[in-house]
Amino acid sequence: MNRNPIDRRTFLQGAGAFAATLPFGRFAFAAEPAKPKELIVRVWGGEWKDAIDGGVSQSFAKATGIGIKYDETEDNELQPKLWAAVKQKRRPPVAVNWDTTTNATKSALKKMGEDLSDLPNLKGLLPVAQPLGFEGYPLVNVYSYVYVLAYRTDAFPQGAPKSWKVLLDPKFKGRIALYNDGIGFHPAAQVAGGGKVEDIPKNMKAAWDFIGKLKAQKPLLGEDPDFTNWFQKGEIDLACTIVTNARGAKKNGVKVAWTIPEEGAKVDTDALWIPKGLPANELYWAKQYVNYALSTEAQQGWCDGLGLPGVNPNINPPADMVGDPAYPTKPEDFKKLIRVPNRIQVENEKEWFGKFKSIMQG
Amino acid sequence: MGASVMLEALEGIRATLWPRAFKRFTGAMLLLPAVALVLVLVAGLAWMGDASLHLLDTETFETGADYTAANYRQMGGQATYWIVLGRSILGAAIVTLVTLVLAFPYAYVMVRTGSAWTRKILLVSLFLPFFIGQVVRAYGWLIILGKEGLLNSLFGILGLGPFKMIYNYPSVLFGLVQYLLPFAVLLIAPAVTAIDEEIELASESLGAHWLRTFRHVTLPMAKPGLVAAALVVFTLALTDYAMPVILGGGTNDFIANAVYDAFFRISDSGLGSAVAIVLVLIATLLAAVILTVLGSGTLGFSAERR
Repeated sequence: MNRNPIDRRTFLQGAGAFAATLPFGRFAFAAEPAKPKELIVRVWGGEWKDAIDGGVSQSFAKATGIGIKYDETEDNELQPKLWAAVKQKRRPPVAVNWDTTTNATKSALKKMGEDLSDLPNLKGLLPVAQPLGFEGYPLVNVYSYVYVLAYRTDAFPQGAPKSWKVLLDPKFKGRIALYNDGIGFHPAAQVAGGGKVEDIPKNMKAAWDFIGKLKAQKPLLGEDPDFTNWFQKGEIDLACTIVTNARGAKKNGVKVAWTIPEEGAKVDTDALWIPKGLPANELYWAKQYVNYALSTEAQQGWCDGLGLPGVNPNINPPADMVGDPAYPTKPEDFKKLIRVPNRIQVENEKEWFGKFKSIMQG
Repeated sequence: MGASVMLEALEGIRATLWPRAFKRFTGAMLLLPAVALVLVLVAGLAWMGDASLHLLDTETFETGADYTAANYRQMGGQATYWIVLGRSILGAAIVTLVTLVLAFPYAYVMVRTGSAWTRKILLVSLFLPFFIGQVVRAYGWLIILGKEGLLNSLFGILGLGPFKMIYNYPSVLFGLVQYLLPFAVLLIAPAVTAIDEEIELASESLGAHWLRTFRHVTLPMAKPGLVAAALVVFTLALTDYAMPVILGGGTNDFIANAVYDAFFRISDSGLGSAVAIVLVLIATLLAAVILTVLGSGTLGFSAERR
C-alpha cells in the first residue's frame, strides 16, 4: 500500500517545474510529506562546509523550515557505519552523504544508495554528473575538481613551475606534500615518469618509479586540512592538492598560487547520494535537498565557495577563477586534464594504495 | 540513631536482593563485570578473526563466503607491514625505556619529598595533561616545534635554524613519551609508597652509598610498579594511532595506522582484521614475555603470590 498522498515521481516532476518559476517555491506544496525537523548531511569541514552551508543548506532551510545538521565524520570513517546500518536495516546515520565519487561508487556497487533518477534537476546537467557503469543514478556527481600543483610564490620568483618534476628538485627536500594515500597524483606521476595515461592501470611502472624518486625528497603526507595548514605554517613550498585547499590558503593571506603542469593534472568529481533505510518522508526531503543542490542557484553559491566548476552548465565561475585552467568548463579545458574512470579507481584502489604505502613507508 | 536505622534498612535490602544462602557466590558475582568485559572483547576478536578469513572482491566490494588465509598471506608478503610492525615494536621499546627512566625519579620525589608544595606542584603537573586530550597535546607540539614554531623563533633570535623538529620518527617517540609519562608515574608511585623509608635509611646507615641503596634496595622493591608501568606504556605505545599521524608527517606509520588504512581507506575489513589480529597476538606475546621475565607477585606468572 502506498501511504504517500501522491506519486513521488509526479510530485518531484511538478516540484521541478514549479522551481523554474520560483526559486524556493517548489517546496510549498500542500500535499508534501511530513517535514522532518532536520536533515543530517555529511560534509567535509572548513571551506567545504562553509561552501555547502552558504550555497545550499541555508536557502533550503529557509524555504522548507527543515534544519540542516552537519556530520563531519571523515568520509572513509562514515562509510562502514553507513554500510552496516543499511545491511542491518537500521536508520542510516546521515540522510545525505557528500562523498568522493570513488567512495560513492563503492557504496553504489554494494547497492547502498537510493536511486535518484527521478530528480527533476538532473535534466540539462553536464554529462559528468552521471555516474558511469550504473543504471540510473545511485549517486550524482556535483562538481569537478583538479589536483593542481600548488606552490608558495616566494619560492618561485620566476613564475609558476612548468613540470611536476620540480618536486624532485633537491632544494625542495622536506618541503613538498602529497595526499597520504597518493590519491590525485598517480596519473601526473605516470606522465612525469615518462609513461602514458592509456597504460593506466595495466602498466604504471613509470608512476611508481617517479613516486619512488619522490620518497627521497621526504614529502609530507596528509589530508585536505593539512595542506592549508602546512602552507600557512611555512612547512612546505609545493603540494599536489585539490585547488580548493590552495585557494583556501590564498584567501587566508598565504602567498600561494597553483598551476596545471605540462604533463597535465588529474580531474575528479565528488558526489551526493542518499543511503537506503530512511523513513519515507525523510527520503523525500533528502531527495529535495539533493535536487535543490543541483539547481543553478544552489550550484552557483556552492561552487563559488569551493572555486570549482559545477555540473550545472548555467553557473558562472567566481571572479578569481575566470580563465583559470583549474576551473575547466569547456571541452578544450579538459584536454589538459587527466580523467581516470571511477570504476577503474575503485577496482585498483587497494593495489595503488598498497604500492604507494610500500614506497613511502619503506 | 538515624544512621543505624538507615544501615538496618540497607541491610534489609541487601538481604532481599542477595540472601545469605548466596554468600558463596559473592566472589563470582564480583567477577561478573570483568567477565562481561572480557566477553565483549572476545566476541569482537572472534568477529575480526572470522572477517580476516574472507577475501574482498573489489568488483562488488563484498567479502567472499569462502574461508581463506589470503589476507594473512597478503600481509605476510608485503614488506610494508613488516617495516611498520618493526618500527612500532622498536618505537614502543624505546618509549618504554625512556618513559620509565623519566617517570621513576618523578614518582620518587613526589612520594618522598618533605615539602607539601613540591608534592602539590608535581601532582598538578601530573594530572594536568589528563585534562588535555592526546590530539590537542600533539598539536601543541606542532605549535612549539614547527618550522615557524616557538622554539624555532627563539633559535631565530640567536641567528640559528630553522630546524626541522617535527614530522619524523624521533618526534613521534617524543610525543609518545610526553603522552605516556603520567601513566607511568601513576603506576610507579604506589610501589614507591609501599617501600618503607626506614629500609633505605637502614641500608645507608650500614654504609651503602645512595646509588647502591637505590640499586639493591629501592629498585628491586619498586619492581612491581615498574613492571606494571612498562606493560601499560609498552602496549599503549605499540598500539598508538594519533601521534604517528600528527607528528609523523605521514611517513612514520605505526601498525594501528595500517589497521585504520585497511578498514577505512581501502574498505577492506578482511585485511584490516588480519592486521589487527596479528597486532593483538604480538602485543599479547610481548606482554607475556615482560610478565614472565620481570613479573612478580600479582603481576607474575608463577603460582606463588608474594
